[in-house]
Amino acid sequence: MAANWFSAPAPVARRVRGYFAPVNRAAQTPVLFDASEQGGFNLDAPPAPWISLGWIQEFTRKPASKTSPVLTGIPAATLEQVRETLEAQVGLQFLSWTKLTMALATGSQHMNLLAAASGASQAADGAQAVAAVTPQGGSTATSILLASADAAKFTAGSIIALDVDYTGQMGFVGAPVAGAYVRQTLTDVDYIRRVTFNVALVSQVNSTGLTLAEPLPGGAPAAGAKLQAVTGFVDREGGSFYQEWSALFVMQGSQGERIFFHYPRLQTMAGAEEAAIPLDGKNKGGQARILLKGQYLALPVIDPLDGERVLCYRSFLPASKALV
Amino acid sequence: MQNAKDSFYMALRTRLTAINPERTILLRGTVRPGIVVEEAEAPFSQLPNDVFIVRWLGLGVDMDLGSTMAAEECEIVYQTCGTQSFGGLDRGRSLSEMDEEVAAMLAPFYTPKLNYTATPPATMLTQVFWDEPVFAPIAVQRDRLSRSAKVMVYSYQEQGE
Repeated sequence: MAANWFSAPAPVARRVRGYFAPVNRAAQTPVLFDASEQGGFNLDAPPAPWISLGWIQEFTRKPASKTSPVLTGIPAATLEQVRETLEAQVGLQFLSWTKLTMALATGSQHMNLLAAASGASQAADGAQAVAAVTPQGGSTATSILLASADAAKFTAGSIIALDVDYTGQMGFVGAPVAGAYVRQTLTDVDYIRRVTFNVALVSQVNSTGLTLAEPLPGGAPAAGAKLQAVTGFVDREGGSFYQEWSALFVMQGSQGERIFFHYPRLQTMAGAEEAAIPLDGKNKGGQARILLKGQYLALPVIDPLDGERVLCYRSFLPASKALV
Repeated sequence: MQNAKDSFYMALRTRLTAINPERTILLRGTVRPGIVVEEAEAPFSQLPNDVFIVRWLGLGVDMDLGSTMAAEECEIVYQTCGTQSFGGLDRGRSLSEMDEEVAAMLAPFYTPKLNYTATPPATMLTQVFWDEPVFAPIAVQRDRLSRSAKVMVYSYQEQGE
């Protein structure tokens, strides 16, 4: 009679998939991942609000919490242990360059290079931009309705940033992801669109508006939101802002098992850095793949289950019919 | 281990049918998908063109695990002279097409393990999985271009195997 179970060895996995979800910085609320309810998700279509960061490599977890012994007796022996500090770090390399991966792999604000107005003075993080246009009612996350004159300002293949005007807001700005923290009043009306994560590629343009190749991370345009064309991205070494995100890393085992590493709060702890990996290992001076390196510090959350402060949740969903 | 080899071959054969249904071979009076296992056919005096030949080579086992792991080296050999309608001048394109089909057949890099000695085939408990292929350089013999791709195929031995 055939057995209906097997003894599963250690998981065998190829690479790690990374997923991002925004932390509500003002309310200090991360996004939580529940492996019991969401663990079986399609790796190519994560459940909202998680967004795929693609494949990553050199994924390393470094627990840095310190414990100390409580000594007693002569000679002293350890009676108990106490946890003195709680710390964990994560390192990785992104295998793609996107708005999101660039922003997460930089040490501070990550900005959109807005299309410059004609004759504007040069600036390191983008000149004065072409005036923003206002989407019309009925727009969605993938379809931006515009007046025909506004639609004519965009071309298929261009990138857009969509967010509200800067009108003196202080604190965290940008939706759905806080892209910066404003400490003093600024003069650039486009500042929030410079730092917003709400960007997408335009796939089609017609007289009624734009069709996007991917949905805007923030969904349908909010009231007051405007859009501008983006030519690229820029970040700086320096600044005082720390990106913070909820992170989920998934290892898919050869037998269908899954390992999840969920960090509710990760903050970058290093400046922008790249790694050049030669495509041909025998030709170190030849073409190389440029990978974004990220180094992160995990921040604690209070687990409502028992009130403990935790940095990371590691979940394991065993393979079907594997002994546990 | 035979179940793993059978499952790997059947996965590739099923995928090839979807990728390029026109790649077929007439074998023993039957038209089949254009991929055959060399050790399961009568010896070829010369390998057929425009068909994938699956050849099993090395074998390794790791017994220090909860279930013994087998690693079986597979070589997929293929060759072409191009088409008559182009006088063979399209042999490079034909080989590229076969290269792409090999890469497409191997993704995703796993398949359920089935016991094909049963009728209908019985699904087993584990999956067969493999690495990315390593393609060898093109070999040229007059107007014939040939290449091979090697893949390491892994599987766990189940009770009763």
